[in-house]
Amino acid sequence: MIDGIGDYLAGVLIVIGALFALTASIGLLRLPDVYTRMHAASKAGTLGSCLMLIALAVHIGEFATTLRALAGVVFFLLTAPISAHLLAKAAYSAGYRMWQGSVSDDLAETATASKKNGPFAADR
Amino acid sequence: MMSGTAFLNICTIFALGVLTISFLLVVVRVLKGPSLPDRILALDMLVAVAIGFIAVLGVRSGFTLYVDVAIALGLVGFLATVAFARFVMSGGVDGNKEEAEKERP
Amino acid sequence: MIPFRNELILALVWVAISGSYSVPNLAFGFAIGWVVLFLVREQLQATKAVIRPVALLLLIALFIKELVLSAFKVAKLVLSPRMDIKPGIFAYPLKVDRDFEITLLANLITLTPGTLSVDVSDDRRTLFVHGMDCSDIEQARRDISQGFERRILEAFR
Repeated sequence: MIDGIGDYLAGVLIVIGALFALTASIGLLRLPDVYTRMHAASKAGTLGSCLMLIALAVHIGEFATTLRALAGVVFFLLTAPISAHLLAKAAYSAGYRMWQGSVSDDLAETATASKKNGPFAADR
Repeated sequence: MMSGTAFLNICTIFALGVLTISFLLVVVRVLKGPSLPDRILALDMLVAVAIGFIAVLGVRSGFTLYVDVAIALGLVGFLATVAFARFVMSGGVDGNKEEAEKERP
Repeated sequence: MIPFRNELILALVWVAISGSYSVPNLAFGFAIGWVVLFLVREQLQATKAVIRPVALLLLIALFIKELVLSAFKVAKLVLSPRMDIKPGIFAYPLKVDRDFEITLLANLITLTPGTLSVDVSDDRRTLFVHGMDCSDIEQARRDISQGFERRILEAFR
Protein backbone atom coordinates (compact mmCIF):
# COMPACT_ATOMS: atom_id res chain seq x y z
CA MET A 1 0.00 0.00 0.00
CA ILE A 2 1.23 3.48 -0.86
CA ASP A 3 2.53 5.21 2.22
CA GLY A 4 0.20 7.79 3.65
CA ILE A 5 -2.93 7.23 1.57
CA GLY A 6 -3.89 4.22 3.64
CA ASP A 7 -3.45 6.27 6.80
CA TYR A 8 -5.65 9.11 5.52
CA LEU A 9 -8.34 6.66 4.38
CA ALA A 10 -8.27 4.81 7.70
CA GLY A 11 -8.45 8.08 9.64
CA VAL A 12 -11.45 9.36 7.68
CA LEU A 13 -13.25 6.00 8.00
CA ILE A 14 -12.62 5.92 11.74
CA VAL A 15 -13.99 9.42 12.27
CA ILE A 16 -17.12 8.75 10.16
CA GLY A 17 -17.68 5.42 11.92
CA ALA A 18 -17.33 6.99 15.37
CA LEU A 19 -19.79 9.75 14.42
CA PHE A 20 -22.32 7.15 13.24
CA ALA A 21 -21.93 5.31 16.56
CA LEU A 22 -22.56 8.62 18.33
CA THR A 23 -25.73 9.35 16.32
CA ALA A 24 -26.94 5.82 17.03
CA SER A 25 -26.54 6.32 20.76
CA ILE A 26 -28.18 9.76 20.64
CA GLY A 27 -31.05 8.10 18.78
CA LEU A 28 -31.20 5.42 21.44
CA LEU A 29 -31.70 8.15 24.01
CA ARG A 30 -34.06 10.46 22.13
CA LEU A 31 -36.46 8.18 20.25
CA PRO A 32 -39.77 7.45 21.95
CA ASP A 33 -40.20 3.66 22.01
CA VAL A 34 -38.25 0.43 21.70
CA TYR A 35 -39.20 -0.14 18.04
CA THR A 36 -38.02 3.25 16.83
CA ARG A 37 -34.85 2.93 18.92
CA MET A 38 -34.17 -0.31 17.10
CA HIS A 39 -33.98 1.64 13.85
CA ALA A 40 -31.16 3.77 15.22
CA ALA A 41 -29.23 0.89 16.75
CA SER A 42 -29.55 -1.53 13.86
CA LYS A 43 -28.62 0.88 11.08
CA ALA A 44 -26.34 3.63 12.30
CA GLY A 45 -24.74 1.39 14.95
CA THR A 46 -23.97 -1.43 12.52
CA LEU A 47 -22.60 0.91 9.87
CA GLY A 48 -20.46 2.63 12.51
CA SER A 49 -18.74 -0.50 13.76
CA CYS A 50 -18.43 -1.88 10.21
CA LEU A 51 -16.69 1.31 9.01
CA MET A 52 -14.24 1.16 11.90
CA LEU A 53 -13.45 -2.51 11.16
CA ILE A 54 -12.90 -1.60 7.49
CA ALA A 55 -10.52 1.11 8.69
CA LEU A 56 -8.65 -1.52 10.70
CA ALA A 57 -8.49 -3.74 7.59
CA VAL A 58 -7.15 -0.84 5.48
CA HIS A 59 -4.61 0.16 8.11
CA ILE A 60 -3.14 -3.30 8.65
CA GLY A 61 -3.06 -3.95 4.91
CA GLU A 62 -1.91 -7.54 5.21
CA PHE A 63 -3.84 -10.05 3.12
CA ALA A 64 -4.78 -12.63 5.77
CA THR A 65 -5.79 -10.03 8.37
CA THR A 66 -7.68 -7.85 5.89
CA LEU A 67 -9.64 -10.89 4.74
CA ARG A 68 -10.47 -11.70 8.35
CA ALA A 69 -11.60 -8.16 9.09
CA LEU A 70 -13.80 -8.13 5.99
CA ALA A 71 -15.26 -11.50 7.04
CA GLY A 72 -16.05 -9.80 10.35
CA VAL A 73 -17.82 -6.97 8.51
CA VAL A 74 -19.96 -9.42 6.53
CA PHE A 75 -20.69 -11.25 9.77
CA PHE A 76 -21.94 -8.08 11.49
CA LEU A 77 -24.05 -7.15 8.48
CA LEU A 78 -25.64 -10.61 8.64
CA THR A 79 -26.25 -10.74 12.38
CA ALA A 80 -27.41 -7.17 13.09
CA PRO A 81 -30.75 -7.43 11.25
CA ILE A 82 -31.39 -10.89 12.70
CA SER A 83 -30.99 -9.74 16.29
CA ALA A 84 -33.03 -6.57 15.66
CA HIS A 85 -35.78 -8.58 14.00
CA LEU A 86 -35.86 -11.20 16.76
CA LEU A 87 -35.90 -8.56 19.48
CA ALA A 88 -38.72 -6.63 17.77
CA LYS A 89 -40.75 -9.79 17.38
CA ALA A 90 -40.10 -10.80 21.00
CA ALA A 91 -41.00 -7.36 22.32
CA TYR A 92 -44.20 -7.30 20.28
CA SER A 93 -45.33 -10.79 21.23
CA ALA A 94 -44.55 -10.11 24.91
CA GLY A 95 -46.98 -7.22 24.70
CA TYR A 96 -44.79 -4.14 24.78
CA ARG A 97 -46.86 -1.44 23.20
CA MET A 98 -45.76 1.04 20.62
CA TRP A 99 -45.45 4.74 21.23
CA GLN A 100 -48.85 6.46 21.33
CA GLY A 101 -47.87 8.63 18.36
CA SER A 102 -47.75 5.55 16.13
CA VAL A 103 -50.13 5.82 13.21
CA SER A 104 -50.84 2.27 12.12
CA ASP A 105 -50.64 -1.27 13.47
CA ASP A 106 -51.52 -3.98 10.97
CA LEU A 107 -50.08 -6.64 13.24
CA ALA A 108 -52.62 -6.04 16.00
CA GLU A 109 -55.31 -8.38 14.69
CA THR A 110 -52.93 -11.27 13.93
CA ALA A 111 -50.95 -10.89 17.14
CA THR A 112 -53.76 -12.21 19.30
CA ALA A 113 -53.98 -15.30 17.11
CA SER A 114 -50.29 -16.07 17.36
CA LYS A 115 -50.28 -15.52 21.10
CA LYS A 116 -52.89 -18.23 21.50
CA ASN A 117 -50.60 -20.76 19.83
CA GLY A 118 -47.69 -19.64 21.95
CA PRO A 119 -44.37 -18.27 20.80
CA PHE A 120 -42.46 -20.23 18.16
CA ALA A 121 -45.64 -21.95 17.04
CA ALA A 122 -44.47 -21.41 13.48
CA ASP A 123 -41.02 -22.89 14.13
CA ARG A 124 -42.17 -26.26 15.25
CA MET B 1 -0.02 19.33 5.00
CA MET B 2 0.61 16.99 7.87
CA SER B 3 1.91 13.49 7.51
CA GLY B 4 -0.40 10.49 7.32
CA THR B 5 0.71 9.16 10.68
CA ALA B 6 0.00 12.44 12.46
CA PHE B 7 -3.40 12.71 10.75
CA LEU B 8 -4.28 9.15 11.78
CA ASN B 9 -3.16 9.88 15.33
CA ILE B 10 -5.49 12.88 15.60
CA CYS B 11 -8.35 10.91 14.02
CA THR B 12 -8.01 8.00 16.44
CA ILE B 13 -7.86 10.28 19.49
CA PHE B 14 -10.97 12.14 18.26
CA ALA B 15 -12.75 8.82 17.60
CA LEU B 16 -11.87 7.52 21.07
CA GLY B 17 -13.44 10.65 22.58
CA VAL B 18 -16.59 10.35 20.44
CA LEU B 19 -16.89 6.64 21.25
CA THR B 20 -16.54 7.35 24.97
CA ILE B 21 -19.41 9.86 24.79
CA SER B 22 -21.62 7.41 22.91
CA PHE B 23 -20.71 4.65 25.36
CA LEU B 24 -21.88 6.85 28.24
CA LEU B 25 -25.10 7.77 26.40
CA VAL B 26 -25.90 4.09 25.84
CA VAL B 27 -25.17 3.34 29.50
CA VAL B 28 -27.74 6.02 30.40
CA ARG B 29 -30.28 4.12 28.28
CA VAL B 30 -29.38 0.84 30.00
CA LEU B 31 -29.97 2.43 33.40
CA LYS B 32 -33.14 4.28 32.42
CA GLY B 33 -34.81 1.37 30.70
CA PRO B 34 -37.80 1.71 30.97
CA SER B 35 -38.56 -1.80 29.70
CA LEU B 36 -36.51 -4.97 29.34
CA PRO B 37 -36.28 -4.85 25.50
CA ASP B 38 -34.89 -1.31 25.78
CA ARG B 39 -32.11 -2.57 28.01
CA ILE B 40 -31.38 -5.53 25.76
CA LEU B 41 -31.19 -3.21 22.77
CA ALA B 42 -28.87 -0.88 24.65
CA LEU B 43 -26.61 -3.83 25.59
CA ASP B 44 -26.53 -4.81 21.92
CA MET B 45 -25.50 -1.25 21.09
CA LEU B 46 -22.83 -1.36 23.81
CA VAL B 47 -21.29 -4.34 22.04
CA ALA B 48 -21.28 -2.39 18.76
CA VAL B 49 -19.55 0.56 20.43
CA ALA B 50 -17.07 -1.79 22.10
CA ILE B 51 -16.23 -3.29 18.70
CA GLY B 52 -15.59 0.25 17.49
CA PHE B 53 -13.27 0.81 20.46
CA ILE B 54 -11.38 -2.39 19.68
CA ALA B 55 -11.01 -1.43 16.01
CA VAL B 56 -9.64 2.01 16.92
CA LEU B 57 -7.25 0.51 19.47
CA GLY B 58 -6.17 -2.00 16.82
CA VAL B 59 -5.38 0.87 14.43
CA ARG B 60 -3.45 2.74 17.14
CA SER B 61 -1.39 -0.23 18.31
CA GLY B 62 -1.11 -2.14 15.04
CA PHE B 63 -1.74 -5.53 16.66
CA THR B 64 -3.53 -7.84 14.22
CA LEU B 65 -4.88 -9.84 17.15
CA TYR B 66 -7.54 -7.15 17.71
CA VAL B 67 -9.38 -8.34 14.60
CA ASP B 68 -10.03 -11.71 16.25
CA VAL B 69 -11.08 -10.01 19.46
CA ALA B 70 -13.61 -7.89 17.55
CA ILE B 71 -15.06 -10.89 15.73
CA ALA B 72 -15.31 -12.94 18.94
CA LEU B 73 -16.99 -10.06 20.77
CA GLY B 74 -19.45 -9.62 17.90
CA LEU B 75 -20.31 -13.32 18.07
CA VAL B 76 -20.82 -13.25 21.84
CA GLY B 77 -22.94 -10.09 21.58
CA PHE B 78 -25.13 -11.60 18.88
CA LEU B 79 -25.67 -14.81 20.86
CA ALA B 80 -26.46 -12.82 24.01
CA THR B 81 -29.05 -10.72 22.18
CA VAL B 82 -30.65 -13.81 20.65
CA ALA B 83 -30.76 -15.54 24.05
CA PHE B 84 -32.32 -12.45 25.67
CA ALA B 85 -34.86 -12.13 22.87
CA ARG B 86 -35.88 -15.77 23.28
CA PHE B 87 -36.22 -15.19 27.00
CA VAL B 88 -38.55 -12.23 26.37
CA MET B 89 -40.48 -14.24 23.79
CA SER B 90 -40.88 -17.31 25.96
CA GLY B 91 -42.90 -15.27 28.42
CA GLY B 92 -40.16 -14.58 30.94
CA VAL B 93 -41.71 -11.14 31.42
CA ASP B 94 -45.13 -9.78 30.70
CA GLY B 95 -44.98 -6.56 28.75
CA ASN B 96 -48.53 -5.64 29.65
CA LYS B 97 -47.78 -5.81 33.34
CA GLU B 98 -44.43 -4.09 33.11
CA GLU B 99 -45.97 -0.73 32.50
CA ALA B 100 -43.66 1.08 30.14
CA GLU B 101 -43.68 4.69 31.09
CA LYS B 102 -44.61 6.86 28.16
CA GLU B 103 -42.20 9.63 27.49
CA ARG B 104 -42.25 12.17 24.76
CA PRO B 105 -39.00 12.95 22.95
CA MET C 1 -24.10 -29.57 -8.73
CA ILE C 2 -20.89 -29.93 -6.77
CA PRO C 3 -21.10 -32.53 -3.99
CA PHE C 4 -20.60 -31.10 -0.48
CA ARG C 5 -20.88 -27.58 -1.88
CA ASN C 6 -22.13 -26.04 1.38
CA GLU C 7 -19.48 -27.86 3.42
CA LEU C 8 -16.81 -26.54 1.06
CA ILE C 9 -18.07 -22.96 1.38
CA LEU C 10 -18.04 -23.23 5.17
CA ALA C 11 -14.53 -24.74 5.06
CA LEU C 12 -13.26 -21.84 2.93
CA VAL C 13 -14.83 -19.31 5.32
CA TRP C 14 -13.21 -21.17 8.22
CA VAL C 15 -9.79 -20.99 6.56
CA ALA C 16 -10.24 -17.27 5.83
CA ILE C 17 -11.24 -16.46 9.40
CA SER C 18 -8.75 -18.67 11.23
CA GLY C 19 -6.02 -17.21 9.02
CA SER C 20 -3.88 -20.28 8.53
CA TYR C 21 -3.83 -21.50 4.95
CA SER C 22 -2.97 -25.18 5.12
CA VAL C 23 -4.53 -28.43 4.00
CA PRO C 24 -5.06 -29.82 7.54
CA ASN C 25 -6.85 -26.61 8.52
CA LEU C 26 -9.06 -26.84 5.43
CA ALA C 27 -9.88 -30.45 6.33
CA PHE C 28 -10.64 -29.40 9.90
CA GLY C 29 -12.96 -26.65 8.62
CA PHE C 30 -14.63 -29.15 6.32
CA ALA C 31 -15.23 -31.51 9.26
CA ILE C 32 -16.73 -28.73 11.39
CA GLY C 33 -18.88 -27.61 8.46
CA TRP C 34 -20.14 -31.16 8.00
CA VAL C 35 -21.06 -31.45 11.70
CA VAL C 36 -22.84 -28.07 11.64
CA LEU C 37 -24.81 -28.90 8.51
CA PHE C 38 -25.64 -32.31 9.99
CA LEU C 39 -27.07 -30.60 13.09
CA VAL C 40 -29.31 -28.27 11.09
CA ARG C 41 -30.19 -30.75 8.30
CA GLU C 42 -33.89 -30.74 9.21
CA GLN C 43 -34.22 -26.97 8.86
CA LEU C 44 -32.51 -26.94 5.49
CA GLN C 45 -34.67 -27.65 2.54
CA ALA C 46 -33.23 -28.44 -0.84
CA THR C 47 -33.45 -25.32 -2.94
CA LYS C 48 -32.91 -25.38 -6.66
CA ALA C 49 -32.13 -21.70 -6.91
CA VAL C 50 -30.49 -20.36 -10.00
CA ILE C 51 -28.07 -17.64 -9.09
CA ARG C 52 -27.50 -14.91 -11.63
CA PRO C 53 -24.16 -13.30 -10.78
CA VAL C 54 -24.78 -9.93 -12.43
CA ALA C 55 -28.16 -9.48 -10.83
CA LEU C 56 -26.70 -10.60 -7.49
CA LEU C 57 -23.97 -7.95 -7.76
CA LEU C 58 -26.63 -5.33 -8.55
CA LEU C 59 -28.52 -6.47 -5.43
CA ILE C 60 -25.38 -6.10 -3.30
CA ALA C 61 -24.66 -2.67 -4.78
CA LEU C 62 -28.23 -1.53 -4.11
CA PHE C 63 -27.93 -2.86 -0.56
CA ILE C 64 -24.74 -0.94 0.22
CA LYS C 65 -26.21 2.26 -1.25
CA GLU C 66 -29.40 1.88 0.79
CA LEU C 67 -27.48 1.05 3.99
CA VAL C 68 -25.40 4.23 3.75
CA LEU C 69 -28.49 6.29 2.85
CA SER C 70 -30.44 4.83 5.76
CA ALA C 71 -27.69 5.57 8.27
CA PHE C 72 -27.61 9.18 7.05
CA LYS C 73 -31.40 9.36 7.28
CA VAL C 74 -31.40 8.08 10.84
CA ALA C 75 -28.60 10.51 11.71
CA LYS C 76 -30.52 13.45 10.23
CA LEU C 77 -33.69 12.46 12.03
CA VAL C 78 -31.99 11.96 15.37
CA LEU C 79 -30.06 15.21 15.23
CA SER C 80 -32.97 17.40 14.15
CA PRO C 81 -34.18 19.41 17.15
CA ARG C 82 -37.87 18.69 16.65
CA MET C 83 -38.34 15.01 15.85
CA ASP C 84 -41.27 14.63 13.53
CA ILE C 85 -41.96 10.93 13.16
CA LYS C 86 -45.04 8.85 12.48
CA PRO C 87 -43.99 5.30 13.33
CA GLY C 88 -46.22 2.32 12.79
CA ILE C 89 -46.44 -1.27 11.63
CA PHE C 90 -47.76 -2.01 8.15
CA ALA C 91 -48.41 -5.30 6.38
CA TYR C 92 -46.47 -6.01 3.22
CA PRO C 93 -47.81 -8.66 0.80
CA LEU C 94 -44.92 -10.88 -0.26
CA LYS C 95 -44.33 -11.86 -3.86
CA VAL C 96 -41.35 -14.06 -3.03
CA ASP C 97 -42.39 -17.37 -1.53
CA ARG C 98 -39.29 -19.44 -0.76
CA ASP C 99 -37.93 -19.35 2.78
CA PHE C 100 -34.46 -18.10 1.96
CA GLU C 101 -35.84 -15.34 -0.24
CA ILE C 102 -38.16 -14.19 2.55
CA THR C 103 -35.25 -14.27 5.01
CA LEU C 104 -33.07 -12.28 2.64
CA LEU C 105 -35.80 -9.73 1.97
CA ALA C 106 -36.55 -9.33 5.68
CA ASN C 107 -32.88 -8.77 6.49
CA LEU C 108 -32.42 -6.31 3.66
CA ILE C 109 -35.55 -4.40 4.73
CA THR C 110 -34.20 -4.15 8.27
CA LEU C 111 -31.03 -2.46 7.07
CA THR C 112 -32.72 0.07 4.78
CA PRO C 113 -34.16 3.53 5.41
CA GLY C 114 -36.90 3.73 7.98
CA THR C 115 -38.09 0.14 7.85
CA LEU C 116 -37.59 -2.82 10.17
CA SER C 117 -39.21 -6.20 9.66
CA VAL C 118 -40.99 -7.43 12.78
CA ASP C 119 -42.81 -10.61 11.88
CA VAL C 120 -43.92 -12.85 9.06
CA SER C 121 -47.39 -14.37 9.01
CA ASP C 122 -47.77 -18.10 9.53
CA ASP C 123 -48.69 -18.70 5.90
CA ARG C 124 -45.57 -16.83 4.78
CA ARG C 125 -47.44 -14.42 2.56
CA THR C 126 -47.36 -11.24 4.62
CA LEU C 127 -44.42 -9.47 6.13
CA PHE C 128 -45.06 -7.07 8.99
CA VAL C 129 -42.76 -4.09 8.74
CA HIS C 130 -42.23 -1.38 11.32
CA GLY C 131 -41.78 1.91 9.54
CA MET C 132 -40.30 5.10 10.91
CA ASP C 133 -42.49 7.19 8.63
CA CYS C 134 -45.93 5.71 8.02
CA SER C 135 -47.54 8.83 6.59
CA ASP C 136 -47.59 7.20 3.16
CA ILE C 137 -47.84 3.42 3.52
CA GLU C 138 -48.56 2.82 -0.18
CA GLN C 139 -45.34 4.60 -1.11
CA ALA C 140 -43.36 2.50 1.38
CA ARG C 141 -44.84 -0.71 -0.06
CA ARG C 142 -44.02 0.42 -3.57
CA ASP C 143 -40.42 1.20 -2.58
CA ILE C 144 -39.89 -2.33 -1.26
CA SER C 145 -41.49 -4.09 -4.22
CA GLN C 146 -39.74 -1.91 -6.82
CA GLY C 147 -36.40 -2.07 -5.02
CA PHE C 148 -35.29 -5.16 -3.16
CA GLU C 149 -38.03 -7.60 -4.05
CA ARG C 150 -37.60 -7.00 -7.78
CA ARG C 151 -33.83 -7.39 -7.50
CA ILE C 152 -34.18 -10.60 -5.44
CA LEU C 153 -36.53 -12.05 -8.01
CA GLU C 154 -34.06 -11.09 -10.75
CA ALA C 155 -31.11 -12.62 -8.91
CA PHE C 156 -32.60 -15.97 -7.94
CA ARG C 157 -35.22 -16.82 -10.58
